[in-house]
Amino acid sequence: MNVHEAPGDDWQALFSAWLTEHAGLVFKVARAFAPTEADRQDLIQDILLQLWCSLPQFEGRAKVSTWVYRVALNTALAWRRKETKRRALQTPLIEVEELPGMEEDNSRRLDREEVVARLYDAIHQLPKVDAALVLLYLDDLSYREMADVLGISESNVGVKLNRAKKVLADLMKEVTHEA
Amino acid sequence: MKLDELEKAWQAQLTGRRLTLNADIVLRELDRSKSHFEATIFWRDLREAGGAILVAAFVLWFGIKDHIWPLFVMAALSGGVGVFMVVDRLLQRRRRPTYSDPLLACVEESLAQINHQIWLLKNVFWWYLLPFGVGCALFWGQCSWTLLKAGLWRLKDLEMPVVGVLLYWGIYHLNQLAVKKGLEPRRQELETLLQSLQSNSG
Repeated sequence: MNVHEAPGDDWQALFSAWLTEHAGLVFKVARAFAPTEADRQDLIQDILLQLWCSLPQFEGRAKVSTWVYRVALNTALAWRRKETKRRALQTPLIEVEELPGMEEDNSRRLDREEVVARLYDAIHQLPKVDAALVLLYLDDLSYREMADVLGISESNVGVKLNRAKKVLADLMKEVTHEA
Repeated sequence: MKLDELEKAWQAQLTGRRLTLNADIVLRELDRSKSHFEATIFWRDLREAGGAILVAAFVLWFGIKDHIWPLFVMAALSGGVGVFMVVDRLLQRRRRPTYSDPLLACVEESLAQINHQIWLLKNVFWWYLLPFGVGCALFWGQCSWTLLKAGLWRLKDLEMPVVGVLLYWGIYHLNQLAVKKGLEPRRQELETLLQSLQSNSG
């Protein structure tokens, strides 16, 4: 359903559906830009609020995921840590739950989790625009989609991404050595 | 580790996990946050612009009641400050950054907004303090002249303008401190973001 076809209360249904579908994306952006769990929940709340407020502006020209990325990254770039007192009042909106009984080998899963944690550590050290670009790259967006999210040309995306990938590779080596 | 292996690990990070999200709670929480945000903005605008307009009305009423002409000037200047604030808020509301825009456009809009806020606070003397100050000075001048003519003027009557000048100095410096501590760092941050988005060399 398109947002402009959605009458009244259906906006809520549409938003809920999009949220369920793209919660992972929101979670990844929040983890990449907010260092602690409390900060992450705070940023998630800000992103969801901006998504909710921006919903009427969705024109359907871009893919929903591209639009969610734009709002999430714009919010993350503008986000600043708030005082502990204000954060403490907030209820976690997205929580990660481990699924029991998965057939996947436990050691493989732990290895992967370690790699992902190192990736996040490396992303935290990147300049904000590079961090955003790396996030889009890791989530396998095309150059066209990255250009749409960032508002720059595809050739510029290519130049920046090459540089960011090199920095990321160097940082991953450093993180490995430190570990 | 190669980049495509990292990419695979990244994309599988939520495998074996479930993101729990109660849409009803989220929507309720978002509605609450949105209302809170809108109420904060409304009361801030009302406090600032409404305050100036209220002062204008109050001073005008006194001016009419007691036939004191400097109070008319003070009312007109205070009203002008209030109108300026309302017009400025309305114009800025239209220029508020849109989060669904591409990052470059959103950073440009945010930068324009922060530059405007810095301009407002740096020039607070001209558009806020001076109009009120002129009104107060005229009123004090006329009162002093009347007292002087009646031979009732005392040195103690200088207390009011001295307190006023100190108050103005405090307000002016608080505004400059807000620029220095809050807005300038944010502007630098946005300029860095803009440069890194615009530069072709990456």
